[in-house]
Amino acid sequence: MDVRGDPSDPEVVARVLGGDQEAFGLIIRRYEADLLRFAAGMLGSRDAAEDAVAESLVRAYRHLGGLNAPARLRTWLYRIVANRCKSHLARRPARELSLDEAPPVADPADTEASLERAEQVALVQRALAELSPEKREAFVLKHVEGLSYQEMAAVTGERIPTLKMRVHRAREALLQALEDA
Amino acid sequence: MSPVDPRFHQALDGDIAREGVPPEVRRAMERLDAAAALLAVVPTGASVEARVMAEIRRPVPSRARRLVRWLATPHAIRLRVRPAWSLALAAVAALLTLLSEGDIEPELGGQEGIAQFVGRFPGARSVHVVGSFNDWRAGTIPLEDRDHDGVWRGAVVLPVGAYEYMFVVDGERWVPDHLADRSVDDDFGRENSIVIVRAAGR
Repeated sequence: MDVRGDPSDPEVVARVLGGDQEAFGLIIRRYEADLLRFAAGMLGSRDAAEDAVAESLVRAYRHLGGLNAPARLRTWLYRIVANRCKSHLARRPARELSLDEAPPVADPADTEASLERAEQVALVQRALAELSPEKREAFVLKHVEGLSYQEMAAVTGERIPTLKMRVHRAREALLQALEDA
Repeated sequence: MSPVDPRFHQALDGDIAREGVPPEVRRAMERLDAAAALLAVVPTGASVEARVMAEIRRPVPSRARRLVRWLATPHAIRLRVRPAWSLALAAVAALLTLLSEGDIEPELGGQEGIAQFVGRFPGARSVHVVGSFNDWRAGTIPLEDRDHDGVWRGAVVLPVGAYEYMFVVDGERWVPDHLADRSVDDDFGRENSIVIVRAAGR
């Protein structure tokens, strides 16, 4: 139980494994926003991100018993989503995604400012799509999700020096792409 | 700024203070921060909770049970039997509709229609229909077998559209509707039936 009275991740995991199926909803509500944002950054498409996260969460539920350290539920979920996204990208690279599927969808009520913001998001998404899935994953985990290199290592299974190198390369490539735009 | 200026990465990694880097490097860091901030927005209105919980609530049949079900399903004969059953069940449904003049007709909105569910489950103690229209929650929409002939029926008023559904027999056995006009594989390797609800009066 945390200071707000919410059950901790290990407590919720224990409830689900004990047969309280509905308790999994707590896990979804706790992490789906982070996971959707991560998947959207990886895939460049809101619809694809929702599919990836939904499939990952169902998979997580079915394999919850295999989670050795329930305290690491968050990074475990990121890992499942990351793998799902990379599988998706292996079948369909992000650069092939239609920009019509990308997040910045504007409706007639949008202001000029929000339209401009949508264009900026599209520009960053295009630049990200030029990166390899591994570099994109490293950049999004570090700079969008705010994970530490230790947490990133738990998510990806890679060594920290490798991850640092990927993040550095991704930063340089992204910066170059933004400057060229 | 040279993209390989080591202070760029050192400052972003928190190894050195941002305030200590030259303005050119700091501007590059700010551009990158701004790009990351654009991505740090959760897609509005997005939630997968209902979808995930619906899938979780559906029991996963064991391999043995799937094998038994496959063996028990009259694959070869079904193509011959289906039209006959369809006609028979349609006739039963039409007859019961004509006979049930005393039933209260629901008032339908312009964008609503009635979804009819009919399934033959002799010996069943209960049959419910679950689907995308009720979040796949079992136990909320019961079918009836008033004359105990094994044919279970029910009707639901729904907004116009296409819905996936299955029957739940005796509260535990999830089966697709083999008489449905259409079916679709869900994202998890199983088959859902499809019902299309059209506006009443069309």
